[in-house]
Amino acid sequence: MSSKDVGMQPAGARAAPMGLPASPSRDDLVKQAPPGPGSGGVGWLQANMAKLVLSPSLAVTLVFVYGFIVWTVVLSFSTSRLLPIYKWAGLEQYARLWATPNWYVAIKNLGIYGGLYIAISLFLGLFIAILLDQRIRGEGGLRPIFLYPMAISFIVTGTAWKWFLNPGLGLDRVMHSWGWTSFTFDWLINPDMAIYTVVIAGVWQTSGFIMAMFLAGLRGIDNEVIKAAQIDGAPTLQIYWRIIIPQLRPVFLSALIILLHMAIKSYDLVIALTGGGPGNATELPSTFMYSYTFTRNAMGVGAASAVMMLMTIAAVIVPYLYSELRERRT
Amino acid sequence: MAFLEIDRLHKRYGATEILKGIDLDLDQGGFLVLVGPSGCGKSTLLNTIAGLEQITGGEIRLEGRKINDLHPSRRDIAMVFQSYALYPTMSIKDNIGFGLEMRKVPKAEREAAIARVAKTLQIEHLLQRRPSQLSGGQRQRVAMGRALVRNPRLFLFDEPLSNLDAKLRVDMRTEIKRLHQQTGTTIVYVTHDQIEAMTLATKIAVLKDGKLQQVGTPAEIYNRPDNLFVADFMGSPSMNLMAGTVRASGNGAMIQLAQREGSIALQIPPSVTARDLPPEKKVIFGIRPEAITDIDGADRHASQLQTIEGRVDVIEPAGSDTYVVTQLGGKEVIARMRAEASLKVGDLVPFAFNLDKALLFDPETGYRL
Amino acid sequence: MSVDAGSAAISARGPRIIIYGLLILFAVFYLLPLYVMLVTSLKPLSEIQSGNMLQLPQAPSFYAWEKAWGAACIGVTCEGLKGFFWNSIRMVVPAVTISTILGALNGYVLTKWKFRGHKLIFGLMLFGCFIPFQVVLVPMAQVLGRLGLASSTPGLVLVHIVYGLGFTTLFFRNFYVAFPDELVRAAMMDGAGFFRIFWRILLPASLPIIVVTVIYQFTNIWNDFLFGASFTSGDAAPMTVALNNLVSSSTGVKEYNVDMAAALIAALPTLLVYVVAGRYFVRGLMAGAVKG
Repeated sequence: MSSKDVGMQPAGARAAPMGLPASPSRDDLVKQAPPGPGSGGVGWLQANMAKLVLSPSLAVTLVFVYGFIVWTVVLSFSTSRLLPIYKWAGLEQYARLWATPNWYVAIKNLGIYGGLYIAISLFLGLFIAILLDQRIRGEGGLRPIFLYPMAISFIVTGTAWKWFLNPGLGLDRVMHSWGWTSFTFDWLINPDMAIYTVVIAGVWQTSGFIMAMFLAGLRGIDNEVIKAAQIDGAPTLQIYWRIIIPQLRPVFLSALIILLHMAIKSYDLVIALTGGGPGNATELPSTFMYSYTFTRNAMGVGAASAVMMLMTIAAVIVPYLYSELRERRT
Repeated sequence: MAFLEIDRLHKRYGATEILKGIDLDLDQGGFLVLVGPSGCGKSTLLNTIAGLEQITGGEIRLEGRKINDLHPSRRDIAMVFQSYALYPTMSIKDNIGFGLEMRKVPKAEREAAIARVAKTLQIEHLLQRRPSQLSGGQRQRVAMGRALVRNPRLFLFDEPLSNLDAKLRVDMRTEIKRLHQQTGTTIVYVTHDQIEAMTLATKIAVLKDGKLQQVGTPAEIYNRPDNLFVADFMGSPSMNLMAGTVRASGNGAMIQLAQREGSIALQIPPSVTARDLPPEKKVIFGIRPEAITDIDGADRHASQLQTIEGRVDVIEPAGSDTYVVTQLGGKEVIARMRAEASLKVGDLVPFAFNLDKALLFDPETGYRL
Repeated sequence: MSVDAGSAAISARGPRIIIYGLLILFAVFYLLPLYVMLVTSLKPLSEIQSGNMLQLPQAPSFYAWEKAWGAACIGVTCEGLKGFFWNSIRMVVPAVTISTILGALNGYVLTKWKFRGHKLIFGLMLFGCFIPFQVVLVPMAQVLGRLGLASSTPGLVLVHIVYGLGFTTLFFRNFYVAFPDELVRAAMMDGAGFFRIFWRILLPASLPIIVVTVIYQFTNIWNDFLFGASFTSGDAAPMTVALNNLVSSSTGVKEYNVDMAAALIAALPTLLVYVVAGRYFVRGLMAGAVKG
């Protein structure tokens, strides 16, 4: 599942007016009460239909998500190499993982990539949203231009940028033919710079969506507060900085969560753009996991790395989901 | 045996008890209004009658048959919801006919029933439209039509007029009353608007905190409220309630009320026998605004009228009458004077108390003496 | 989302030229890769090697598109992308349909028929959306193998249903939460049962969220690479995997025009959906995104 779309997900989670029915306020505690099935006279089937309908999905989730997580955790404590072997190995695979230089490269790259990708996407998203919020003529035509990259696959994005940044035939050649003959752009094959090409392509793909989130946030701000600030004589810049942006905090949080978990899950883009190279210059935990598990016959190490990824994401997502589901108690 | 009987009804959500033992009954053709402030349990009570919420204890009987374990659809009850709950994707005709369709009533019969109800409610021209194309009043009619068409044993109304604007509300109120008179249906109606309760009901039940405060005809509830809560809740503006003390005096007891300067003494209202009032007993003296008037506006048939001087603090002309605020017993007191009475703020004017309409309450228990 | 005249926009007194200039600049940045892909795919190889990639093709030809579709070599077979394209279609249609139906039912249960623990169940399903899928790859591969679904389209359908359920449930739940409970109660009093209420009352009002969910799932599953790469090989691969194989194969002369045509073919279905129904997609996203 391409992680860009996964990104929209927590956005949805934010939106949930968790559990509050929309019916106009009624007295009493009726809002707490489910319309619930009256038991009598309708039979067991009707009364339990709801649970019955939900149960396959629940079962599938328990097995395919939680069961498999446990399975992978078990593998990470086993001696598995080429194939799964269920022989206890204690923390050996974790020790091996943390003794692998490549793993450090992957983590360092994730730090660079994640940090820049999140920061630039947030900044660019907010900036374009603010620009678009200035009663722009043709906004309806511009918005889809910023948003369309999220409709396409990371593999396509990677393929396109790989060509666009092609040393020799790509940007280089364009600049040369425009007369800037000393221009070189070799980041794709430069081990020190390759990771930044991933950042560029990643930002290109996602920032439009972040822009859309911010734009919706801006549109949701109470107009009267802004009018009041204008009457108070605040210049536009000040109004944004002091009044509007602080009110966008929930959007920032949602966007941050989305970007963070997308960064950690990034896999397709690297594969298509650099294949993890040159050398291991753009290795990420996700590519590390894949290659150690499936091609380097180190399934235990791969499982251990997957567990590390899961724990990192869980550390962010679990508190977030908990607060989202908890906040608006039904 | 009454038509609808509610017996020691309890409803609990976890640790919170919403209904604390409700006993109520209603005869066939009656119009019972459940009234009370927000959170009193009146809507929950209605929902338990509908079967939309399970009860924790007690019994609900319809025509002598226990219905509390029946599914809502098997109780032969129809309900009009606060938001009208019209199915947004169905035409008005389908909305009205849905219940019949679910009950597998043949199409021809269904059509006839819809046409009949539409005629009664004068919504024939709306049948092909969608709910979203209707005004609030029209939606209200459709919601009633949906209930009527099934010809159920009992109608439930859950604050049906609260989403309408003031004028429409009055019109629809009349409409509902007329409908009830014409069809003779049995209705249970929830509202927080005590005027609605007074105008519609043949029987009012006042609820507070999940307990019945008083059950009676509108006149009983209005004129002889059982306790301070009912006295205060019913009527607008609400009843004047003043703290006072019983004093022995020459020709029997009097009630002394503190005024801004000094105090005044009022005779014991005829509603109470003086025997019940030992000297120095603290009481709450209750009298409705319309029983305090200017002298010319006083009820000539009143058996006991007493005039007291008071200073005019605020004047609120309401067109037909003028409300005058003064101070008595340490509280603001509202009097209803004729619109023609000439008054100025700060004047010292006579207030005529019609003591026939006055009541006394025990400040400790809150009950009427 | 339509341009809202009453929105919070501040009419900047500042130089609007700069604002428009910046917006156009950004638009160029977002459009450039697509433009380059398109012109490259229409050029012959010689022109690509000698010219500027931004130049329009001198003699546009669909040679590269035809080759990418029907004759390019992917792995050992040289039959182009067409087979893989149908693989993806055969994967997407059932996976989207089934996961949407289940999500709608789940959302209905979780909002209108709440029972003790409904929140926990929802939380569990929701967390399933966030997990790095690396953590289920090996077990899933094993289970697919045991079920005899390894390297098959039905196998991928199963995978995408399972890991799409959280999203579809979330979408429908958030939509149905705002659906008035009183309507359900009214229908119940009218005598409608569990499925009847869903079918007659909720579903007819669900078109907006169905559109959003279907588009979302379609894009998501079409664009998936990780599962396709992990659980299929050879002829059974979906489009994205085939595209990657085509582009990254290092045998023979690198045909950039064919690569670009192939990438565009892979992007076309989702782009088409976005163009046709993007309004719904964005509206759904927005509605779901930040209405705190």
